[in-house]
Amino acid sequence: MRLGLAVVWAWAGLAKISDPETAAQAVRAYRILPESLVKPFGYGLPFLELAVALLLVVGLGTRIAAFVSGVLLLVYIAGIASVWARGIAIDCGCFGGGGAVAASKTEYLQEILRDTGFLLLTAWLLWRPASKLSLDRWLAAD
Amino acid sequence: MSQKNSDGKRSARERMQEERAADEARARRLRKLGIAGAVVAVLVVAVVVGILVMNSKSTSYSASQAPAGTTGSNNLVVPVGAVNAPSTLTIYEDPRCPACGDFEKSFHTTVNQLLGAGKVQIHYHVVSFIDRHDQGSGSKNAANALGCAQNTGHFHAYHDVLYANQPDETVDAWSDKSKLITLAKQVPGLDTPTFEACVNNNTFGPWVTAVETDFDKSGYNSTPTILLNGTAAYPSYKNTPLTPQSLVTLVDAANKGKPLGTLTPASASALASPNAHAS
Repeated sequence: MRLGLAVVWAWAGLAKISDPETAAQAVRAYRILPESLVKPFGYGLPFLELAVALLLVVGLGTRIAAFVSGVLLLVYIAGIASVWARGIAIDCGCFGGGGAVAASKTEYLQEILRDTGFLLLTAWLLWRPASKLSLDRWLAAD
Repeated sequence: MSQKNSDGKRSARERMQEERAADEARARRLRKLGIAGAVVAVLVVAVVVGILVMNSKSTSYSASQAPAGTTGSNNLVVPVGAVNAPSTLTIYEDPRCPACGDFEKSFHTTVNQLLGAGKVQIHYHVVSFIDRHDQGSGSKNAANALGCAQNTGHFHAYHDVLYANQPDETVDAWSDKSKLITLAKQVPGLDTPTFEACVNNNTFGPWVTAVETDFDKSGYNSTPTILLNGTAAYPSYKNTPLTPQSLVTLVDAANKGKPLGTLTPASASALASPNAHAS
């Protein structure tokens, strides 16, 4: 469970860090944040995702990492729902890329369903964070 | 007596056990706090490092890095035609974008005639976002090569050659820079060692990125985006569908009563021939 979610976050984070302009544009395309916040979010989010992945892999602070992961997913789902409602045609930029696409190529429902699936994984981890082979277990040493 | 004594002993033992349990609970709480602190620290450090890394990776650009002859704020625009022409066509095009290829196929003869007559000047924005959508580097390589051509006054002819030889959108043929150099041989005087070095070294890379970022922020989100005197003109101008014929009519209407532009020898020689690459 932990490792599955970690792979998702690592993949999402890595796909975004290669090109800063693309990362910024993926955020800008949602037309939610003012220009001054586009870069901090576009640049910071991929690394936050990688950090969550790392914490989940080693099993340190699993409950906190799961909480952050849940907050991120809720924000992403809200963002996708918002562009959908406003009729803007973009790629969610979830795993890199992002930006405008032809209206026929939007995949909002799939994107939201996928994120909801990840949210269920996250909820499970919040409920049952403890697992074997985790630093949490090893540090508590009981 | 002995009963009392054993009571006292037991309670002492119990007290010791309780203290030990309390100590352990305190230690466990501390450890949990420590873990939580470490976790939050990891997250914060990751974000800060991320912003710094991405900032250092994003190319800095100054207007002095643009190809010669570019204009506009930060020299992001390639001007073609008479600078005093009464009408201006603003064209945002991606070298890999098939819709741009279609536009060029239908319109380039007409557009080049309007340019030659001094009726319009064109402000080209060479954008390169297809590389993000379809993966690859062909848009950026071609945009850089167009910058290299602009640097020696060959932009427009090379522009027409590239669109006439555009690969399929999903085939990233121009990730291979030698293909761009081969196509340059079709433009007399363009293919020099300097040009080839410019293409191979991605000399105008920062300019290409700056042009794309400017397009990202413009609010226009597809190519070709065509503006006639600042008004969106493609696929239709107000309610008039844009065709080569309606473009001429619209330009003539906008130019009514205004003198035609005069081409300088340099801007005249920089124009692509209207009938080259007609298909």
